[in-house]
Amino acid sequence: MALRQAQGGGALSGRAGQAWTIAKIELRRAFFAKRGLWVYALALLPAGAFFVHGVDATLRIERLSRNGLTDAALMSGVQKGETVDAVKARLGTPAREWGGTDVRRVRKKSDNKGATTHVIEPAVDARFVRLNINRPTYSGNGVATIYEFEVYGADGRQNLALGRPATGSPPCDPDRGPEKAVNGSVAAGTPDSWCAEDWPLFLQVDLGAAQSVTRFVVKHASAGGESEESDTRDFNIQLSTNGKTFTTVATSTGAGFTDERIEYRTLVYFDGRREARLTFVDGKLNSQGSDHPLRLDEDRAIFAGIFQYFYLRLAIFFGCLGMFMFLFSGEMSNRTLHYWFLAPARREVLLAGKYAAGLVASSVIFSGGALLGFAAMIWPHDAVEVQAYWNTGGMSHAFWYASAAALGCLGYGSVFLAIGVYLKKPIIPAAIILAWEGINGILPHALQKLSVLYYLQSICPVPAPLPDDAPTLIRLLAAPAAPASRPLAILGLLILTAVVLWFAGRAVRRMEISYGAEG
Amino acid sequence: MTAPAVVFDEVSKFYGDVLGVNRVTLNIPPGITSLVGPNGSGKTTLMNLMTGLIHPDNGSILTRGIPPGNPEALMRITGYATQYDTAPRWATGFTFITTGLLLFGYGRAEAEARAWKALERLSLTEAANRKVAAYSKGMRQRVRLAQAIAHDPQVLVLDEPLNGLDPLVRAETIALFRTWANEGKHVIISSHVLQEVDLISDQVVLIANGMIIAEGTIRTVREEIHEHPSQYLIRCSNASSLASRLFSEDHVTEIKLHEDRLGLLVMSRDREQLARALGRLAVDGHRIDTVVPADENVDALYEYLIGGE
Repeated sequence: MALRQAQGGGALSGRAGQAWTIAKIELRRAFFAKRGLWVYALALLPAGAFFVHGVDATLRIERLSRNGLTDAALMSGVQKGETVDAVKARLGTPAREWGGTDVRRVRKKSDNKGATTHVIEPAVDARFVRLNINRPTYSGNGVATIYEFEVYGADGRQNLALGRPATGSPPCDPDRGPEKAVNGSVAAGTPDSWCAEDWPLFLQVDLGAAQSVTRFVVKHASAGGESEESDTRDFNIQLSTNGKTFTTVATSTGAGFTDERIEYRTLVYFDGRREARLTFVDGKLNSQGSDHPLRLDEDRAIFAGIFQYFYLRLAIFFGCLGMFMFLFSGEMSNRTLHYWFLAPARREVLLAGKYAAGLVASSVIFSGGALLGFAAMIWPHDAVEVQAYWNTGGMSHAFWYASAAALGCLGYGSVFLAIGVYLKKPIIPAAIILAWEGINGILPHALQKLSVLYYLQSICPVPAPLPDDAPTLIRLLAAPAAPASRPLAILGLLILTAVVLWFAGRAVRRMEISYGAEG
Repeated sequence: MTAPAVVFDEVSKFYGDVLGVNRVTLNIPPGITSLVGPNGSGKTTLMNLMTGLIHPDNGSILTRGIPPGNPEALMRITGYATQYDTAPRWATGFTFITTGLLLFGYGRAEAEARAWKALERLSLTEAANRKVAAYSKGMRQRVRLAQAIAHDPQVLVLDEPLNGLDPLVRAETIALFRTWANEGKHVIISSHVLQEVDLISDQVVLIANGMIIAEGTIRTVREEIHEHPSQYLIRCSNASSLASRLFSEDHVTEIKLHEDRLGLLVMSRDREQLARALGRLAVDGHRIDTVVPADENVDALYEYLIGGE
């Protein structure tokens, strides 16, 4: 009798009923498989992230409001240059305040154009004059540069060193020997200077005979037009009558530095939504910035990004992998598949039932996860603002996020079910599918249609944010071309799923029970 | 109207290069039929082929007119208790059988009633609400039996159903088989111990290496085995003289002389009588060096099956 019924007119509804019976049996396992609990973690991750963000923002608002709120108009009325006291008098106690003094060592600006003068009193008789360099630059560069080294006697006019024989550390450039430091010129740029980097760094001039000297002028790098940072930082001048015993007569160390003190103060005022940060330097308002602890438009864009880049591409992908791939092979390795095959049901009906169970479970988990995430995103925001968003598209956004998640399960579920029934070791093909879905954007258009992500793109209600300066390749990968309309996308996805399931059905019909050793 | 028989027609199955069963042709009428053969001879393969768990490479199978490719019809009249000693992790004896019955389209109440009845028949009611995984081997064997009979099938396929049962339960189970057979059902069981099933079977099918060695009632099978001539290779000094003497014996059906005239190949239906004849000839002065059974297949198989182990 039952057989007659199954083959008679009610066969189709009978098979659908049978598939649903199978699905109901499988549902429990689909929802509560011990191995599958990580799927919930994936699905709930966005909700968790937004919840933490919401709690954090709420606490921040609470902290900022502790001293009372400030009128928004007063907040935007402050002018650059106002003093801390004036602002406080007008706006009241700030929500937060901090400040301090910065001490910086800065190089004292000098107007000597790179030349330093060193006078000795009284004058000393000397034939050899030596310039020893201990720290060749301010920048830390190890190359000493001297454009001119001048030595003056009592009359103070004649440069006794001019054109005299000069020696020194080996020059860093054969054309920039010690003679360049006594040639009376700095005008011709770098080639008009002596340079050296081999220690000890020194320059020595022979005046020909012992003479009375009283003043030295050293022209450093900036005298020749280079940066002040290349000027000699630490040096001394020594004199000698015999070229063997030298006496130090002038020293210049660490000079040209000074401490600069800056007093700064930051006042934060809060009007309930906007946070104004007023930064005062030396008591005067120098700059102001503003920040929002919570911005609905920003959070919506972040949610769109998380949904497309994490949820669809990774969470649902791997969730469906875990929930669908082992529907058959898992029972094969548990040695329980034959119970299904011995049921009075076509193999396709069994496939449909198992797929339905996986689909129901994964859709509930991932659509639920998407809706929870959406709720967590909206929750901390101002009720009026949320109401406005809800009425102007928010509701449909929520609907389409949930639908995109469910359709993602539909598509990826069929793909992984098919992989699971065709292949014994499905991990490598799964990796290939992940790569395939990943590079989807740079494939030719005809091939794009063979990926699930292609259809899911245009079902998502809010385009994912992308920096304007993102390279073209990233742009293509992140936001590939998508079908023009949602109905077309859904239709395309349904056709893709049907084709994949048809192939899976063929494989299940040919499947044989093979548990290894048999009697 | 198709005869209510299970028919194998030239069925072969290979596992890769390894032979499963080779050109099996069988016509199994209702009643208790035992598939007997050593482990690995192809008994389970035949049962799996019959129920569609695996697919034949050649030939066709019809179970009361229904091919294995039509599980919707076949599984309503067939119950198969496999040797796979597994059950879903979640299952208690009762839920395991009830769940299976739901797939037949029974409502929950009827499925539960039938499941309870099946458990009762196998004396499992006390353990019904315990996890199958916690059952003893014999109880798991019985719960699989209960699951196979719960939808009241016409064709029962039971792989080694008496394995692991204690003697009392074994007797009860055998009585059940008899009841079902008397109702006109097919009860097809497998065993690797001929003595275990020869008395209860209406017919016996002997299998070795994927081939049917003998089939029929236990008496016919015994005769077939006894009448199946065996070959012996005899080395002696005067082969032609020995051959002429042996040829007068009733049980000797054929003799081939070896080219070197020092050996001969004798086909005999009776090992005992051949041994006695050779003894007499030796006393008469024939020098017989060796007697080697050249093909001991069927005989050895029979010995093996009778001997148990």
